[in-house]
Amino acid sequence: MLSRKRKPSDFKAEVEAHLALETERLKEQGLSDDDARLAARRAFGNVTRAEERFYESGRWVGWDHLVQDVRFGLRMLAKSPGFTAVAVLTLALGIGANTAIFSALDAVLLKPLPFKDPGRLVFIEKKNPPRGWVRNPISPAEILGWRSESGAFEDLAAYTQTSCVLTGRGDPEEDPCEKVSGNLFPLLGVSPLRGRTFSADEDRAEGPRAAILSYGLWRRRFDADTSVIGRAMELNGASTTIVGVMPPNFSHLYATPYGTVPELWVSGIGLSPALTWNDYFGVGRLKPGITLQQAEARMNPISARIEQVHPDLKGWRADVMSLRTMLSGDTRPALVVLMGAVIFVLLIACANMANLLLARGTGRAGEFAVRGALGASRQRIVRQLLTENLVLSLGGGALGVLLASWGCKAMAALAPEYVLNSAPGLADSATDLRVLAFSLIAALATTLLFGLAPAIESSRLHLTETLKETGRVQSPGSRRFPSALVVAEIALALVLLAGAGLMVRTLTKLGQVNLGLNPANVLTLRVPLSGERYKEARTSAEFWRRVVASVEALPGVISASVARGLPTGDDWEGQFFTTADQPNPPAGQVPDANYIVAGPDYFRTLGIPLLSGRSFNEHDTETSERVVIVNEQLARTYWPGQNPLGKQLRMGSPSENRPWLSVVGVAGNVLSQGPGAGFHSEVYVPYRQFPWVLSPENLVVRTAANVKPVSIAHAVADAVHRADQNQPVVDLKTMEQAAREPMAQQRMMMALLGAFAGLALILSVLGIYSVLSYSVSQRTREIGVRVALGAERRDVLGLVVRQGFRLTVFGVAIGLLGAFGLTRFLSSLLYDVKPTDALTFVAVSILLTGVALLACYIPARRASQVDPIVALRCE
Amino acid sequence: MSTREENNRLELLQGTLDLLILRTLIFGPEHGQGIARAIEQTSDDELLVEHGALYPALQRLESRGWISAEWGTSKNHRKARFYRLTKAGRKQLAKEAVKWRRLAAAIGRILGAEAGEG
Repeated sequence: MLSRKRKPSDFKAEVEAHLALETERLKEQGLSDDDARLAARRAFGNVTRAEERFYESGRWVGWDHLVQDVRFGLRMLAKSPGFTAVAVLTLALGIGANTAIFSALDAVLLKPLPFKDPGRLVFIEKKNPPRGWVRNPISPAEILGWRSESGAFEDLAAYTQTSCVLTGRGDPEEDPCEKVSGNLFPLLGVSPLRGRTFSADEDRAEGPRAAILSYGLWRRRFDADTSVIGRAMELNGASTTIVGVMPPNFSHLYATPYGTVPELWVSGIGLSPALTWNDYFGVGRLKPGITLQQAEARMNPISARIEQVHPDLKGWRADVMSLRTMLSGDTRPALVVLMGAVIFVLLIACANMANLLLARGTGRAGEFAVRGALGASRQRIVRQLLTENLVLSLGGGALGVLLASWGCKAMAALAPEYVLNSAPGLADSATDLRVLAFSLIAALATTLLFGLAPAIESSRLHLTETLKETGRVQSPGSRRFPSALVVAEIALALVLLAGAGLMVRTLTKLGQVNLGLNPANVLTLRVPLSGERYKEARTSAEFWRRVVASVEALPGVISASVARGLPTGDDWEGQFFTTADQPNPPAGQVPDANYIVAGPDYFRTLGIPLLSGRSFNEHDTETSERVVIVNEQLARTYWPGQNPLGKQLRMGSPSENRPWLSVVGVAGNVLSQGPGAGFHSEVYVPYRQFPWVLSPENLVVRTAANVKPVSIAHAVADAVHRADQNQPVVDLKTMEQAAREPMAQQRMMMALLGAFAGLALILSVLGIYSVLSYSVSQRTREIGVRVALGAERRDVLGLVVRQGFRLTVFGVAIGLLGAFGLTRFLSSLLYDVKPTDALTFVAVSILLTGVALLACYIPARRASQVDPIVALRCE
Repeated sequence: MSTREENNRLELLQGTLDLLILRTLIFGPEHGQGIARAIEQTSDDELLVEHGALYPALQRLESRGWISAEWGTSKNHRKARFYRLTKAGRKQLAKEAVKWRRLAAAIGRILGAEAGEG
């Protein structure tokens, strides 16, 4: 519209034209030139006011004011660089922490999965409610039944984790890999970057061997060479054709708490309705409109039918969850807690800012009064103050995004591997558009939160009073607001401290847990034997015998042994067994135990006590009596009150008719699944009796007390390579490192919550300090009078400290209430500590009160040193 | 024109100026001063238009699209900004006039009744 573009000069010209016309008319009526001009003016009224009204009605006045306010704001901020620095830094910390955590939250929980219609993708495991087992892998019999008969799925794919050793070209290496059904890729809607996926023929167990490479492996081992497609490579000692390469980041689908990110996928899954081996995971695409519950309801009758055919599968039912839920796993509660924590930090920062601004507002009361007297409306002053604050929080926000990008890198360094796996690109996610939008919103919200109340408060004009004297007289009402803010800050800080305290307690408890073994001075490694000749169990046993012998000969080594399955890892090999006392338990009640293959000296090397009987020795071979060692838990459960030595048990289902094994020893219980999982039945069998399908692959070495296990790592790896130079040595670490791994998430939570709580503590203590300091400076005269009237220094000290103490106690009390309500969100991360742990709550209350009192002491001391003569004279 | 005379004239009620401007423009394009004169004369000098308030009002009506403006030359060869009623303005005038007549009649009835009772 033309009218919008009308300039003030045009309006002015019109007014002048009017005055000229009017003057002329009046002159025609007989007035003199001067009188006519004056009368025209008089009739018009206030010309400037009319011009102002025109100006204010224009659209561009808002923009004009904004530019004015921003410029003025920047000038004001530049005039007090100290205030500006503190404010921007406080906000940057608050917004930065929020941005960092939000980007993690976004990456793990919010961003849609990079698949076709990801909302319908589900992950399928199974549970056994009668026996209380959950999240178990599934069997081909069930997969095929559910796929063809449930009617809930458009398609259902399966995969199983396996080990792939690449030899031939370059150094031998083991890569995490998966045997997958060919329909997995089209089901997800992901096409290979190069080549193709598996054909139906390749899905057969005896079909042609084919492999698909991950982008990373293709770049790393095959130099991104396109001509490798269609070529053969040596995989687990067999010739395998490379048929395709997947796009970057695709592997992260599998970034689950269960395993590592696969580097390649191999064909030949060979699903068959006769197979009941629980070693597979299902990925399904639900038909449109089918919910998770409906899917389970349709799958249950099929499970019920399958268990009639296969008694081994008795009691198992499908457990269907969205792929998103599976991928975010345990990370969800941690992230939700952290997001809450950083919001608290931001609120504390805002409260501090509000107090700072209030104090500043009082200092600027003169300025506002003058502006008010010159005609600025209250609304205009509030707007201007808000703009100033906006400039502050945008500055803080920009710095915060910078801090957040560092923070994300720090988190990436701290986070357990699987958390990172489910959030690819976390390290550089702070530059993500969604995250930037979040930061901007946080900055705007912050401005309103901390800026509005002080702006309104400051703009409350007491024109005459303020202009007469510079606001010495303070109404009690305006002192109540800062105090309320301080109480809120202390309360928020207490909640955060309680959370951090609970994590500290958890880690302390976890550190004190007796795992049932002695992890000090133990080195562990894994050699996934591959190649045609190690398919022969004797060759594999011979390899390990030679390795153990040469490692034991190394200086500084006390003992060494082999095993399949190490404590504190993910190695859980649940197997059915039956005892001779009850050889035919009903289907669905067959006992199960963790099945561990071990060599002689296994117990001595790991420091697991042998409670009775003997350990394995060199004479436990193929030709000797078949023996087994059980743990205390198994012995107590199945032979309560009896001597387990000499008892008989056998592995597998009763129908498998495997050989009986004699119990020759009872080992102490080991927390083999980590501290939180409790004790389970476990059986140990000697590796040279070629017990079952599993051959040993872990080596454990105990060094002398004065020899660091890592110092012999090279020598041990050399010993392995002397036995066979084509075998990769992987997972080389100390037992202590391995024992710490299950605590990685708690460790990260403690570090982050601790950092946020520390920040909250500092900010809230600064808050109480500044409010008291300000109050003391306002009360200098009153204190002077008190001292003049005979108050002791001690009384003055007490006066101020009492004021601070009252605020702190209020804050702590409210904070304790809040903590009681909120810490339960942490409960899934705690170990052996109640979310309302009294010790923690008392400790953090004392800590917070103590630090707050220290902060009160400084202004209190200043107050007690007020010289009454100076204080009264400065009036 | 003395001050006393002016004081005897009626101040415009809030919102009536817009209506009067629109009504005046129905006779053809006119500039601001002309509009003010016309209102005063048509009301037999009963109504006082504060000229200073007139121009912001014109600006308001223009931005609503009820009148349009153009610089031109007055009868006595002076430059002036001429306002013209638009189609939308005509409609608005009809609407406002009806509203105003109803309001005036209603107020008149109340005042008349009171006078009767009193």
